[in-house]
Parts: sequence; structure tokens; C-alpha cells
Amino acid sequence: MMTNNPGKELQNLKNQVGMTVALISFGMMFATLFLGYFLVRSNSSTWPPVEIANLPTLLPFLSTLVMALSSFTYFKLEKEVTYRKHFWFATMALGLAFLVLQWELWGALNASGILASNGHVPSMIYAFTWLHSAHIVMGLMTLMWLGHFIFRKPEAVTELKLMNVGKFWHFLGVVWLLMYLMLFVL
Amino acid sequence: MAFVEQHIHDAPTSFWSKYLFSFDHKVIGKQFLWFGIFWLLMGGLMALLIRWTLAYPGVPFPIIGHLLFPHSDGVVPPDTYAMLFTMHGTIMIFFAITPILIGAFGNFCIPLLIGARDMIFPTLNMLSFWFSMASGVVLLASLALPLGAAAGGWTSYPTLSTNLGQPGAGQTMWLISLFLFGVSSTMGAVNYITTVITLRAPGMDYFKMPLTVWGLFLTSILNAIFVPVLGAGLLLLTFDRVFGTTFFLAGAAATSGKGDPVLFQHVFWIFGHPEVYILILPAWGITSDLLSFFSRKPAFGYKMTALSLTTITVLSTVVYGHHMYTTQMSPLLTQSFMTLTMLISIPSAIFFANWLGTLWKGSIRFTSPMLFSLGVVFVFGLGGLTGLYLASTSIDLYLHDTYFVVGHFHYTMAASVLLGGFAGIYFWMPKMFGRMMDERLAKIHFWCTMIPLNGIFTGMMVVGYAGMHRRLYNPFIYEFLQRLIPINIFITMSAIAMGLAQFIFLYNFFKTIFGKNIPAASSNPWEVGTLEWELPSPAPHYNFKEIPVVKSGPHEFGNPNLKGDRDFQYQTEELVKV
Repeated sequence: MMTNNPGKELQNLKNQVGMTVALISFGMMFATLFLGYFLVRSNSSTWPPVEIANLPTLLPFLSTLVMALSSFTYFKLEKEVTYRKHFWFATMALGLAFLVLQWELWGALNASGILASNGHVPSMIYAFTWLHSAHIVMGLMTLMWLGHFIFRKPEAVTELKLMNVGKFWHFLGVVWLLMYLMLFVL
Repeated sequence: MAFVEQHIHDAPTSFWSKYLFSFDHKVIGKQFLWFGIFWLLMGGLMALLIRWTLAYPGVPFPIIGHLLFPHSDGVVPPDTYAMLFTMHGTIMIFFAITPILIGAFGNFCIPLLIGARDMIFPTLNMLSFWFSMASGVVLLASLALPLGAAAGGWTSYPTLSTNLGQPGAGQTMWLISLFLFGVSSTMGAVNYITTVITLRAPGMDYFKMPLTVWGLFLTSILNAIFVPVLGAGLLLLTFDRVFGTTFFLAGAAATSGKGDPVLFQHVFWIFGHPEVYILILPAWGITSDLLSFFSRKPAFGYKMTALSLTTITVLSTVVYGHHMYTTQMSPLLTQSFMTLTMLISIPSAIFFANWLGTLWKGSIRFTSPMLFSLGVVFVFGLGGLTGLYLASTSIDLYLHDTYFVVGHFHYTMAASVLLGGFAGIYFWMPKMFGRMMDERLAKIHFWCTMIPLNGIFTGMMVVGYAGMHRRLYNPFIYEFLQRLIPINIFITMSAIAMGLAQFIFLYNFFKTIFGKNIPAASSNPWEVGTLEWELPSPAPHYNFKEIPVVKSGPHEFGNPNLKGDRDFQYQTEELVKV
């Protein structure tokens, strides 16, 4: 990111480095979960296992769509200064919609008789989505923090704040995409 | 190099902002120090209870036994014994060593030694301490539960740590406590890494940083990468216990479905082996600096030491399997892990030789920090060499889970880290509290610690080699182990002697801080050239009025061109040339 003020540019560096290190830490947590998935999958003689034969497909697909849309609206939020408030609302709404869809997904799994205690794979589906949703709640909190500046102190909305919140939000999108592919598609 | 503008903040005035919710890295460092010392005493008492039980099974613990265990006439009961070794390990690793070596020295030293006014994220720093505090409260509270605290070992392997092995809330609280501690450690790591990358004073390139900062920086990198791995394992185990998932449940522990208990071991040791280096790297860094400071010589092979520490950091991430040789891994994997583990001895030997090179023909000053640093050299030598036995698959199969392992990891993770921690406390005391600790008492403390310490851990390796397993309540029900009772009594007596020696430290520490008529320390009592020693003692809240410009390395001693009565140069001075 280039600015006309070299002091400010260097000041921004601290937050960029900090956010990058924090994302590495978050990434390692999810990577550990994925490692478990690969170990289980590589040791299974049949895939998908019998206990997840009736896995819902529509709700995870809709969740992926909503997550992708929210990443797009956040991208527009960063670029479109005039409509920033609109895109903030859209991103928040899509984030909340994602949580609702996850809630519905857990309900649908339950209704199909797939319980967390049914074995490795159902445990993974529940635990991974629980943890991801907890991070989405954290993401929504950072969005609300950003919203405070957008609505109350627009002059304090810096490129850096936008970028750091965005990095976390897009990161959660990528994690969901990987989860979707691993748990529901491949 | 990046240089971020730093402002001088107003000095805090109220008690709350000055001592409790302080943003000042030095105050937070001291908070971690008090926190760590409290837990060190707790963990130490538990060690004595364990040792007493092993030397005198069925005999009441002296003096406080009846108070602690009224229902068993002062004797440590078997279930409590399992809880004690679990909590001892957990407390010493996460609540004593980590707060002192990383929390206290990391906070106190990094900004001062790199020429910064504070950590880059002071609020995150404060939160990091209070998350540690919260995790400590949860762990402490678990001791009061009706079914007791966690008792599945500090490694908490399933099925010992599942609901079947551990009914009650103790294990769950252990998991929550450690998760909170992991959040705290990760916050600290983000702060330390970013501070070192962005806040180094002008001229302070990476190879002009004191090795203490190198150690803390590398530790933080490992923390940022591997603590979240443990976090994931802790969460999944919590889900197994609370929400009925079956990640680690098998056999009778699983009501339906099936999981894999060994999966937890993988996750635990992916974190657990780097954790060994997370704990020891700061102690190595401190020792590397102090050996040079008190040999009055530049650190021998400074760059190679820094690069060796870095190489060890990298290698530490790919050797975790040597903790799991007995889990029926494929021979290809065990051999790979064995080879990688053996490789670590190369960079270890390099920096160890550099330590000896630093001492060689030095004008050694046997101050208390130097004595403790020499102690680190000795005990780490023993700990490192015995590690080679355990790295070898064929020998490890015999020694696995014996007291040989306990002796080995106490030499590396406990003895060298403890001695390194004491070296740091004695050394930075004047800069922390503005007063010098009593040198005579400090030296008595050293010898009264060092001699019994070796009695304990060498003794452990001897009984381990003779086949005594760890974690047994009464090993002497096995006839072949009964002849080891005398040496176990010797180990316990050594442990009691070492425990009593710590009162010398406590007396010296409290007397120095709170005693009357203790003279103020000068700004540079040890005659050392790193940046913090150019500041008054104790360091002011803003550290540096003007951000220093660094012109030379941290170990500029004995320059033949130096005139006057000084044998060292400050890092802000140009290297004297003819």
C-alpha cells in the first residue's frame, strides 16, 4: 500500500505484520483440523463412510454462495466510498445469513440422524462448522467495529482498518470453501 | 529497515493504571514474573509431594500432610498422586516457565534491548497477561472440585483424558484453562514478532540484536505457529467430553462410532516438541549473552550461534514423531524421525561449542548471573547428550516412559530453563526494580540449587535406566524395583534440599524489592554495552527519551584500541579503531 507519507506508510507496516502473524496462527488451527481430516480419510477403506450417506447438500452450497457474496460485498465496501454504508450492511446481513444457514445445517443433519456422536466424520462436520461459525462471530464483531467508524467517524476509516478486517473476512471465506469441498463435495 | 514513529505517553498515575491494567511492557513483564513465581512455588510443592510418595510410599507427608490429606492420615492417596503429577507438569511448563522466561523476560527485555519505547501493541500485551491470569484462575479453581483436578498426565492422552478415564469437570477445566493460556501466548507471540520486526532502533539490524532477543524472537515464531495446533486439539477433546463427538474415543470409551486416541498424540506432539524449544530458546539466548558479558569477550561465533538457533527452530518442527515410537508407526517413519532428530545435534553442537569458545581465555567474572549461566551450559550438556539415547528408536523402545525420560526432559526443560531464568532475574534485577540483589546470597543460592538439582535428575536417569517406570503410585510393589528404594530416597532428599534452597532466593528477592536501606543500583552495574544499560535503573516508563542509533554489536568487549578504564563499548558507540 503506497501513501504520500512515508512515516504513515511505515506506521501501517506494524499492523500489516501483526495481522499476517495473527492469520498464520488462525490458519494453523484450521490446518490442524484439516490434517485430522486427511489422516481419517487416508485410513478409510470406503469414502464417503456409510454414516454420512444422506448428507444435506443444498444448505452447504447456499452457505458457500452467501460467503462468496459477502466477500464480494466487502471488496466493494473497500472500493466504493460513496456506497460504503450500503455494502457494510450487505456484508453484515450476508454474514448473519451464513450463521442462520449453519444453524439450519445442524438441524438438517440432526433430522437425518447424523449426530456428533456417530463417529469420526459426523464429529468432524459438526466440530469444523462450530469452530468456523465461532470465527464468523468474531468476524462480525470486527465488522461492527469497522461499522462504528464508517457511521460515526468516517474520517477515521483508514485503508489499513479496511484491509485488516477484510483480510480476516476473506480468510474465513477461504477456510469455509476448503471445508465445503472436503466435507460435502470431494 | 522499518522504523515506526513512537510517541512518549504520559506516566500512569492511579494504582489501577500503574500496577494492574498497565500498558507498560516493563510492568506487564513484572506481572508475569510475580505470576510465574507464584506458580513455581505451587508446582515445586507438588514435586515434593510426588517425590515423598516415591521415597516413602504410605508414609504421611511431613508437617502439612495431615492438613492436605486429612482423610488418608496425611498420606498422598493414589488418585491424588495422579492429579499431582499432572498438575505439576502443567503448572511448571505453562504457568511457571512460560510466564517467567517468555512473559517476564520477553516483555521486559525485547523493547529495552532493541531500543523501543514499548511493545508495538500495548493493549494486546495487557490482554495477554489477563488471559493468562484467567487461565490460572480456572486451573486453580479446578483443584477445589469434588472429583479433583485433571489427572491424565500433562500430555492428557485419551483415553485417560476422556469422560471414561476422567469423570468430573477437572479435565474439562484443564482444557479450558490451557486454551485460554494458548490465546494469551498467541497474543504475546503476535506482539513480540511484530515488535522485533518493526520497532528495532535505527542501525539495529538482525545481526546486531542481543542473542536474548534472538531467542525470544524465535520462540515467538514457534508459539505463533504451534500453539494454535494445541488449541485445535484441546477444542476437539473438549467437544468429545462435552458435546459427545468421537474424535479420540475408542473401545469402551465410545458410546457409538469410533475415533482414534493416537490422533490426539499426533496433534499434541506437533505442538509439544516445538514447545520444548519454545521454553528453552529464551534461556539459550540469555545464556549466550551472559557468557559473553561476564567473559568480557565478544560472543564466539555470534552469527553462527544465531543461525544455529534458527536451524534448531526449523528442525524442531519436523521431529515430533520421536515421542511416538511406541505407537506402531511404520519403520520408514520412525527412521525418518530418528534421522531428523539426530540432525538437531549438529546445530546444537555448534552453539554449544561457541559457548565454550566464548569462555575460552575470557577474563571471567564469577558473578551470580554468570554462575547460573555456567550452570545452564553444564545441565544442557547433560540433557542434550541423553537426548541422543531417546532419539534412537531401538534404545527408546526400552527407555520409553521410564524415569530416564523424566530425568532427560527435566535436565533440558526444567534445569536449564530454571537456571537460565534465575540468571536473568539476577542480571536484570537492577533494571527492573532499581536495586541489586545480594550477591553473596545469590551465590549460596546457586550452589544450594545446582548440587541437589544434579542429584535429582541424574538419580532419575539411573533409576530409569534400571527400568523404573514413571507415573506409578508405588513402583516398589514390583520386586525388581525394590532395590531402587535407597536411590529414590536420595533423589527425594536432593529435591527437599533444592526446595529449601529456594527460600534463599525468595528471601533475597523480597528483601531487595521491599527491604529498607537497600542502596539504589547504578545505571550499569554489570558494565555491559547493550542498550538498556544506558538508561537509569530502574528504566523510566518511556524507556528512551531519544530513540538510540545503534552502531555496533551487543558484545563489544576487550577491544585493544579502547582507551580509558572501560573494557566494553555501548551499542550506540562507533567501534573504536586505531
